[in-house]
Amino acid sequence: MRVAVIGGGPGGYVAALKAAQLGAQVAVVEQSEVGGTCLNLGCIPTKTLIASAEALRTAKGLADYGIELNGSVSPNLSKIMERKDRVVSIQVKGIRALFKSWGVTLVEGRGTLVSPGRIRVEKREGSEETIEAEKIVLATGSRPARIPKFSFDGKNILSSDDVITMKEIPSSLLIVGAGVIGCEFACLFSEFGVRVLMVETMGRALSTEDAGVSELLEREFKKKGITLMTGVDVTRVEIGEDGVHAYISDGREVVTEKILVSVGRTFNTENIGLEALGIERGKRGEVIVNEKMETVVKGVYAVGDVTGGMLLAHKASQEGVVAAHNACGRDMTMDYGVIPSAVFTSPEISSVGLREHQVQEKGMPYRTGGFLYRALGRAHAAGQLTGFFKIIADPGNDRILGAHFMGAHASDLVHEVAVAMKAGLKAVDVADTIHVHPTFSEGIREAFGDLHGEAIHVPKK
Amino acid sequence: MNPENLKYHREHTWVKVSGKRATIGITDHAQEALGDIVYIDLPEADTAVEANSELAEIESTKATSSVISPVSGTVLEVNEELAESPEIINEEPYGKGWVAVLEIEDETETEELMDASEYERYLEEEAK
Repeated sequence: MRVAVIGGGPGGYVAALKAAQLGAQVAVVEQSEVGGTCLNLGCIPTKTLIASAEALRTAKGLADYGIELNGSVSPNLSKIMERKDRVVSIQVKGIRALFKSWGVTLVEGRGTLVSPGRIRVEKREGSEETIEAEKIVLATGSRPARIPKFSFDGKNILSSDDVITMKEIPSSLLIVGAGVIGCEFACLFSEFGVRVLMVETMGRALSTEDAGVSELLEREFKKKGITLMTGVDVTRVEIGEDGVHAYISDGREVVTEKILVSVGRTFNTENIGLEALGIERGKRGEVIVNEKMETVVKGVYAVGDVTGGMLLAHKASQEGVVAAHNACGRDMTMDYGVIPSAVFTSPEISSVGLREHQVQEKGMPYRTGGFLYRALGRAHAAGQLTGFFKIIADPGNDRILGAHFMGAHASDLVHEVAVAMKAGLKAVDVADTIHVHPTFSEGIREAFGDLHGEAIHVPKK
Repeated sequence: MNPENLKYHREHTWVKVSGKRATIGITDHAQEALGDIVYIDLPEADTAVEANSELAEIESTKATSSVISPVSGTVLEVNEELAESPEIINEEPYGKGWVAVLEIEDETETEELMDASEYERYLEEEAK
């Protein structure tokens, strides 16, 4: 079986590796760098920058831990960026090495579908090549959505792509859009001493998360001195001598050195040959696929951001695994039932399953259990008191409906609940499982216990 | 001891009224129950606050808790010193640890509140 993949991001490269592992002869067409947005412009570079911000915060707070610092600490952006580039480069090499190991051919250029078994590649050095394959996987991803009224200029009005390669730390930054990307950058830049303002059209930051998460995040923003304006929009932007003037729909005017626009992402579906093959697109421009990740054209699959839904690297990778199986003659369907996600704000946020407002909208009976980080010995030992654990369960059959964590290590902690949900465990199963003391994970057990009024470390109600 | 010249709310806040100005804070019992206070989310000036609703939010090493306003009014002043040093509330809940001053609309609202001895009896009842 010959399989060709257009796009080498977490959807495409995983599809390629899995197909190769299943015995296919695989080619990946990538126009910039393997790893895609996730590795080169998204997940990995931002987490690397966040690690620098955390190091700075730890250094600034050393006195709280009884450590004396004889001198000062300050961020050096060029060295921080060098470190980020090094980290990205190691990961890129890792994917290239895996390709080599599994015999996956990397074709560097821009791929376009010509017919169901054929891709034309405009190679980076200028020549053209045609690749023939029985099965094709589209994994072209997404890019930052622009606001037509004030489109990116790479200088004053920035996208997340621009911020990743920023040369100097601005004195002030207006972030348009308090979604995942906006909130992560807000925490990052405020740690670097930037005056951060945010504008969000919805009523709260991270409006797709559980309301409890937004509430605590907004309080943390206040502590950090981040100004969040919700329920408003930027109507107009002017570049002045003294910075960028943004006019807010409530009449306010704010002046900052730069603006970061993080209002969502646009799917990369243009000029890849969808029309030529008659591949259907949905309302938001996403490529429509079935549960086997196959488009309406037999033998042409699509995975990752380009198919819409949740724009998550790990979701894309799983879709890649499913597409690869089906392309290689196996039978696999994509299960969206349990997909945990995380926001790398400070502190971190993670969630799996339904939010409380979603449970309410569905009219389902439910019960919540909660526990605070500050009630954990480990949280005090580590000096990380902020945060909570929240569990939502069905009071009838005790099945877990959702979990929402905010606090230190939340992004890692969520998987315990993801496994429990995937396995169909009851809330009481987690509550009855002994957890190591002293850990942050103890809070999960207590939150599950609280569902049934059986948490131990809570005052009498 | 809870000062005699203050009025007390069942959610463990106190108010001192002089003319249209109502100074509000949390009681000694509240600060004791909360433990070391590490942060207070203060209201902004000019915010309208209803009696029995949240005026501020306190984080201690043990809990996060709402400061419930005993009266209705508009925020005139907040104790900015608490932003940097919230532990003042633990040290002097009835003095330097005041939270905010409201301009009150209805002075009769305080009539429904407890005096010091009523509040002490209330605490004894609650402890049972």
